[in-house]
Formats: sequence, structure tokens, C-alpha cells
Amino acid sequence: MTSIQINGLTKRFGNVVAVDNLNFEVAQGSVTGFLGPNGAGKTTTLRMLLGLVEPTAGSSTIAGKPYRELVDPFRHVGAVLESTSFHPGRRARDHLRVLCVAAGLTVSRVDQVLDEVGLADVGDRRVKGFSLGMRQRLGLAAALLGEPEVLILDEPANGLDPEGVHWLRKFLRTYADQGRSVLVSSHLLAEIAQTVDDVVIIAKGRLVTQSSLADLADRTKPGVWVRTPQAQVLRDALAAKGIAAEVQSAESVVALETTTEAVGIAAAGAGVVIFEMTAKHFDLEEFFLELTTPTTNPITEGASR
Amino acid sequence: MKNLIYAELLKLRTTRMIYGLALAALALVGISAISAISVAGNSRGGPALNTAAGIRNVIAAGSAGSTLVLVIGILIMAGEFRHNTATSTFLISPHRGRVVAAKLAASALVGGALALLSSALTLAVALPWLAAKHIHVDIFSHNVGLVLLGGIAATTIYATVGVGVGSLIRNQMAAVIIALAWVSIVDSLLVTFAHEIGKWTPGGAAGALANRVAGDGLLPMWGGALLFVAYGVAFAAAGTRFTIRRDVS
Repeated sequence: MTSIQINGLTKRFGNVVAVDNLNFEVAQGSVTGFLGPNGAGKTTTLRMLLGLVEPTAGSSTIAGKPYRELVDPFRHVGAVLESTSFHPGRRARDHLRVLCVAAGLTVSRVDQVLDEVGLADVGDRRVKGFSLGMRQRLGLAAALLGEPEVLILDEPANGLDPEGVHWLRKFLRTYADQGRSVLVSSHLLAEIAQTVDDVVIIAKGRLVTQSSLADLADRTKPGVWVRTPQAQVLRDALAAKGIAAEVQSAESVVALETTTEAVGIAAAGAGVVIFEMTAKHFDLEEFFLELTTPTTNPITEGASR
Repeated sequence: MKNLIYAELLKLRTTRMIYGLALAALALVGISAISAISVAGNSRGGPALNTAAGIRNVIAAGSAGSTLVLVIGILIMAGEFRHNTATSTFLISPHRGRVVAAKLAASALVGGALALLSSALTLAVALPWLAAKHIHVDIFSHNVGLVLLGGIAATTIYATVGVGVGSLIRNQMAAVIIALAWVSIVDSLLVTFAHEIGKWTPGGAAGALANRVAGDGLLPMWGGALLFVAYGVAFAAAGTRFTIRRDVS
């Protein structure tokens, strides 16, 4: 079942197209990573989804309805959009009390969510004394007040220490395993790769790909980097054996989707001298970079690092 | 709707800002009452205390805190954008018109309560002092009662105007500075030096309603009341419309 649906969503700010005819969906009971470099349009998309920003075109629904038409939206959707959205002079507990009262929820939820995010001891402190990580946790606590079936988080790992990131991953996993859905944005694939089931990747406001994380991993390629004084000769020898290869500089070649053995045999057959050879597995992060910045080739660039 | 109003009042109670502004407003009222009695009858102090106009001048001190109530109204709305809390506010209630309505109601309640306290403070300062000067003041008289009511009404309407201003000018600091400069400089100058224009300004209308500006040329009290209510409605409507249409980012 689909819990979030984005249909042809577009947002223009003057001449700038921030989000361009975006389509994707989030399945119920899954954690979906919403990925893209900074400025790709992730935040604008989430704000349109939540009824905060009016789309230029297109529509979006959560649990079958546009956000603004949900009855008691706070009980269906919890969202954490920025870490600074608190009055600095207000105590953490009071911030949550205000939200409870406004949403018509029982105020006993306040202590429950403070406990859930590990802020029970600091609930009576004013928010201005909170670290970025504590603010993220408080934002999450606020989103959990209504026990929503959909959780939407914008860059939640920002400001969290490694322990906090680990805690967040476990939390989101547990949350989705209860049959609820999570849409979590990030500009770093590695940050959420261990948590997500599916990924939606956008760049410059456009959808690059939507797939399961497993499918994405299958699309990353192993390769071999070679240092040789006869770069052009080696490339031709590899090409003759049907191995795609690129001359990177006068002294280096990158062979794609092959093994060191295959390259070594080809080199010996052509009488090419090899100074150095390394097998590289081009990881998800590099693949992500390749997808989102089409002008560079991470396979060759990654090898020269 | 009731929940939203309670939430707005709770927001006010859980920061220190409201207490500081309320104290400042009451201090202003006290000082105004004291100075009105001290200077009455002097060449620059207006009519003597034993005249009806003199008594009105003293009682009108009760609305001296109205500009600070205007500031409270501004902060109730613009503070949401200053601190980015508008996001969670509108997530809970995507019907932004209701949010603005709740803010108008909460602001009017707080402004009205503060106006009542201000009136009580004015009487507490003025009655014993005037009695000591052997001037009897009947607070239920047409002269005193109407001025008190006008002051309370003007202060309450200022609270709603503030919410409107805070919706239209989202930069909190700019909204406060522009509103204060407008009310206490532009309107005052117009009322004093060009009252044909000045009497139609928000400050002129509020002054007529609260009987605070003891000068000729203002509208009659009922006229000031109608005009200031119209200003309140106009600011509230414009603020609501603007808030509903604007993107929150």
C-alpha cells in the first residue's frame, strides 16, 4: 500500500525551477531515503507535501489525501523540518505542551515522547541551552506526539554525534517495522544506507531514480586501475578482448567491470609493462555522486584519488 | 478552535516576553497617571483638575500602555516567523485562517486583560490622590466611565491590529519599529499639526476613542470607535489573507 504519493510536483521561484515534475511514492511499512545534493529541491518537495508551500503544479497525498485535507493531520503525519524551529526562551516540555494543546492531544504524551527520544532529564531546560543534536531529538519528540503512521524527516542526522546517528537508525528501523512509513531526506547516502529499504534520488529538482537499495547496489561496478607507460596500447588490448577501458592520463588506464586477472592476462598478451594495478569497488556513495552530478565520472575520478 | 486559542495563550505564558511587556505597559500607565495629575492646571499641562476635561485627562492615562499591547500583538504573529515555529503551528492546523483567528482572539484577550489592569491602576493612583485634593470623582459618571471603557476598547483593538501588522511584516524587528514609529511619531505629528488628516489615522481614531489626545479636531468618540474598529478589522483581514497565501519556508 502506498502511504505517500507525489504526482508531477513542480515549484518555480521566479525563473528558478526548484522542483521539476517530480513523481515518486513511498510504500507503507518502509523507510525511504530521499536523496540529493544540497539545493536539489528536497526541502521544497517536503514542504509542498506538508502543505506549507503551494506547488506551481502537481499534487501530493499522504494516506490518500492532500495534507491540508487530513482530519487531525498531527495524528497521521509527524514531521521534523528544521532543527531551529523552537522559541529559544521556552522550556522543552512547554514547547511540547503547546503542540499537544493545539492538536487536542492528551498532555501526558509529553513525558512519553521526551522519554522515547532520551530527553527526559532536560525537559525543564530552556531550548536556547540545547545542542544541535538535542534540538533534533526535541523535533523528533514533537513529531511523535500524535503517534503518526507516517514520519517525514528532513536531514535528521545533521548535528547528531555518531551515537546519535546510530540511535536514529535503530529508531527509524523499529518504527517502520511496526508497519509505519518513514521518508527521510539526506545529502549523504552513507548516512542512511544502513537504514533505508528504498531510495528516491533527485538532482536539480528532477527525479534521477527510484529503486530499492538492493537494486541500487547491484548497479555499482567493480573496476581495475592500472599504472603503465603504455596506456594506449593496454587500452586497445583490453578493447580487443571486449573489456571497456579508458585512458586516464599518459600513465594510467581504468578498466571497467573486470578483474585484475583479466587485465593481467590481456597485458601479458600485448607485452605491456605494468607498474601498479589495483582492484577498486566503486561504492554506493560514488555511484550516488555519479547519478547526481552527471558531468563527472566517478569511476575514473575515484581511481585517480 | 478553542484548542488553538488555549495553545496561543500557553505560548504566551511559557516565555518571559509577555511578562516584561506587561510590566512595562503598567509602568507606563502609572507614570502617565502621576504626571497627568502633577502637571494639570499648569500652562502646559492642560485643563485644571477641578474641570471635567481635567479629570478625563487623568483617567485617559489608563490607555497609555496601548502601544506596548500593539507590540504584544505583533510578537504573537511575527514571533512565529522569527523563531520558525510557524512550521509546526501550520502543520498542526493547515487551516491557517483558524490559526490567525486564534491569535487575534488570544491577543485581544491578553490586551483586554492588560487594559482592565491598567484602568484599575489608574484609578488606584488617581482616586486617593484626587480625594486628598478634595476633588470627588464618580467612576460611574459619564465623564469617567466612558473614558475608561474607551481606553479598554482602544487597547484591545490595538492588540488585534498588532497581529495584523505582524502578519504583513514578518520581520519581527522591522514590524515593531515600523508600528511604533507610525503610531508614536507619524500619527502624533499628523494629529498635532495636520489634524484634518490626523484624525483619520489609526492613532487619531484610537485617540478619539480613548480620549487620550486632548485636542480639538479629533473625531467624536463614537466616530473614533467606528473608525478604529474598521482599522482593526482591515488589519486582521489583510493579515489573514496574506498568511493563508504565503509559502512557509
